[in-house]
Amino acid sequence: MAKKITGPQILTANRLSDGMVVFLSADGTWRASIDAADVARTEDSASALEARAATFVQTNEIVDPYLIAVEETDTGAVPVAFRERRRIAGPSVQAAFNGQSNGSLAFAG
Amino acid sequence: MYRYDEFDTTFVRQRVDQFRDQVDRRVSGELTEEQFRPLRLMNGLYLQLHAYMLRVAVPYGTLNSRQMRKLAFIADEYDKGYGHFTTRQNIQYNWPKLPDVPNILDHLADVEMHAIQTSGNCIRNVTADQWAGAAGDEVEDPRPYAELMRQWSSLHPEFSFLPRKFKIAVTGAASDRAAIAYHDIGLRLTRSANGEIGFEVLAGGGMGRTPMLGVTVRDWLPKDELLAYLEAIMRVYNLHGRRDNKYKARIKILVHELGAEEFTRQVEEEYKRIDAPRVMPPAQELVRIKDYFAPPVYEDLPDQSPELARCMSDDADFAQWVDRNVVAHKQPGYAIVNISLKPVGGVPGDASSGQMRAVADLAEQKSHDEIRVTHEQNLVLPHVRKSDLYGVWQTLKTHGLADANIGLATDIISCPGLDYCALATARSIPISQDISRRLGDISRQRDIGDLKIKISGCINACGHHHAGHIGILGLEKRGEEYYQITLGGSGDETASIGEIIGPGFSSETVTDAVETIVDTYVGLRQDGETFLDAYRRLGPNPFKEAVYATH
Ligand code: HEM
Ligand code: SF4
Repeated sequence: MAKKITGPQILTANRLSDGMVVFLSADGTWRASIDAADVARTEDSASALEARAATFVQTNEIVDPYLIAVEETDTGAVPVAFRERRRIAGPSVQAAFNGQSNGSLAFAG
Repeated sequence: MYRYDEFDTTFVRQRVDQFRDQVDRRVSGELTEEQFRPLRLMNGLYLQLHAYMLRVAVPYGTLNSRQMRKLAFIADEYDKGYGHFTTRQNIQYNWPKLPDVPNILDHLADVEMHAIQTSGNCIRNVTADQWAGAAGDEVEDPRPYAELMRQWSSLHPEFSFLPRKFKIAVTGAASDRAAIAYHDIGLRLTRSANGEIGFEVLAGGGMGRTPMLGVTVRDWLPKDELLAYLEAIMRVYNLHGRRDNKYKARIKILVHELGAEEFTRQVEEEYKRIDAPRVMPPAQELVRIKDYFAPPVYEDLPDQSPELARCMSDDADFAQWVDRNVVAHKQPGYAIVNISLKPVGGVPGDASSGQMRAVADLAEQKSHDEIRVTHEQNLVLPHVRKSDLYGVWQTLKTHGLADANIGLATDIISCPGLDYCALATARSIPISQDISRRLGDISRQRDIGDLKIKISGCINACGHHHAGHIGILGLEKRGEEYYQITLGGSGDETASIGEIIGPGFSSETVTDAVETIVDTYVGLRQDGETFLDAYRRLGPNPFKEAVYATH
């Protein structure tokens, strides 16, 4: 069944091992950075993203996957919802404690 | 303090072993997330926005130095070098990794601690005054009764499947520091006209989306009838409490719908049917429990310390700290030291591992090895000799722990909000930091006087905003955070629920609004009148006018 969407979508989840926020990228890996996130622009491709994410739930790499609506800007995809923007940015306090914004923490999928 | 008996020790170790096995099975894929989630929640492990969070219980908010050092060790070894003390008198770690959690729990068990979330619709951990056993205004130490209720409720099958979770708080003093009116059941040890000690019993309080104050169902109950009377309350609740609607299932709704009088009548009716002596614990059991909470062996000291007086007159900063952070102890020559975890612009309740160790050392050397965690997200050294206060203060100062702001405008309670919490609708910590910086000047704070600002990041009200003199609730509207302000709330013996003053504010303007409210108070107060007193005299209008005229 095709997914009803209102605009471009990306797929996010939390990594099972440490809960880190991750995004499904086009090369099939989960990355901490949103920059490489695979953007679905049609309902079929959104459903396909969900189906791909489900396989990673099966293999216990991620939990709680879901689509989030993004706006495509010159600098990349930006979530529409305030909550998701905050979730990606990590705590706005204690930058030193904040491991989230480090985009290099990809892991193989 | 309460020590584990053999049963407790075995139980906690078994739970750690079980959880280790469950984590293994989760990681290997044998358990799905749906199967694992309730298991991890039972062990205090949440998945928040960016990471797991482990909530470690601190029963009655009481810790010894060994336990505090262990908490510091865990912060360094398994987290990012800090922990967050919460309004539930717990500590939360914000960054544990799933495979490490069983090891953390093993370390905790080494010092008789655990993260077993007494979750579910049962009677939760009973909370007590953070100065219990030390406070000068105390009628009797409430903790033995808290422990008695814990044992009674955990063994009671009838109360394991309540309509909803159930929270009890108990205080032994006239000044209510346990917010008893905001609990399902609140208890206050008090003296009757002829001097006998008993309980005042309140029921039906709570925060959350429908805040309500508990009503007094009994002015005075003989101490040894406590459990029988509680049983009567629980039975009436169990019989009527609404199980059909999660938001209406709390006892506060029942008390509200029946009316206080009818609820009380039914409780008293039920109480007559209870065979009180059967419910009573044997006298020697209470004695056994009381032994655990026996006061430390104090030195015989004169109440006045000339040394303290001299240091206070020589050092104005120290004198200010004593004025705000030190309170009267029962024992002559001793004092209760409150350690602020609210540096100006800091994160309320956060402590680094170094700070935890410093407090542990001080407790060991100067406070009969005792530390308390307060629901206001601060720490306490409950039994310090007055002559040691200057030294204690100097040590605290070197660790950034000597802010002299207890009970002042920057002693803000804030829940984690959208910086950590998956349920949040808005951030709360940055708002508290902004307000703290704005009002941070210590002479200004001292001029403003007693002021409780409390902030929650969603309607669950973990930051107690309903009980704030100034309460702030973070919400979201059309993709933006906005903040609703309530005024006139209080969690003390004159408990009241804050009232919304009007439309909310953006994250950019909420601090201005708070400052305007504070300035309005300063302009209108009478001699010696606190913010809360002034609000109660003036009502919301002058504050509304000031705030909405300028915004
Ligand atoms: C970050 C993870 C947290 C989650 C997921 C969470 C969730 C919740 C929820 C769902 C409720 C409402 C329950 C109900 O009304 O039945 C609640 C209530 C409460 N929470 Fe939290 N909370 C969290 C953190 C905290 C923290 C850090 C504190 C202490 C600062 C706290 C203190 C409280 C208190 C005191 C209540 C009771 C309010 C009442 O009387 O109804 N919580 N929490
Ligand atoms: S009040 Fe809401 S945002 Fe704050 S900790 Fe509780 S659930 Fe989270």
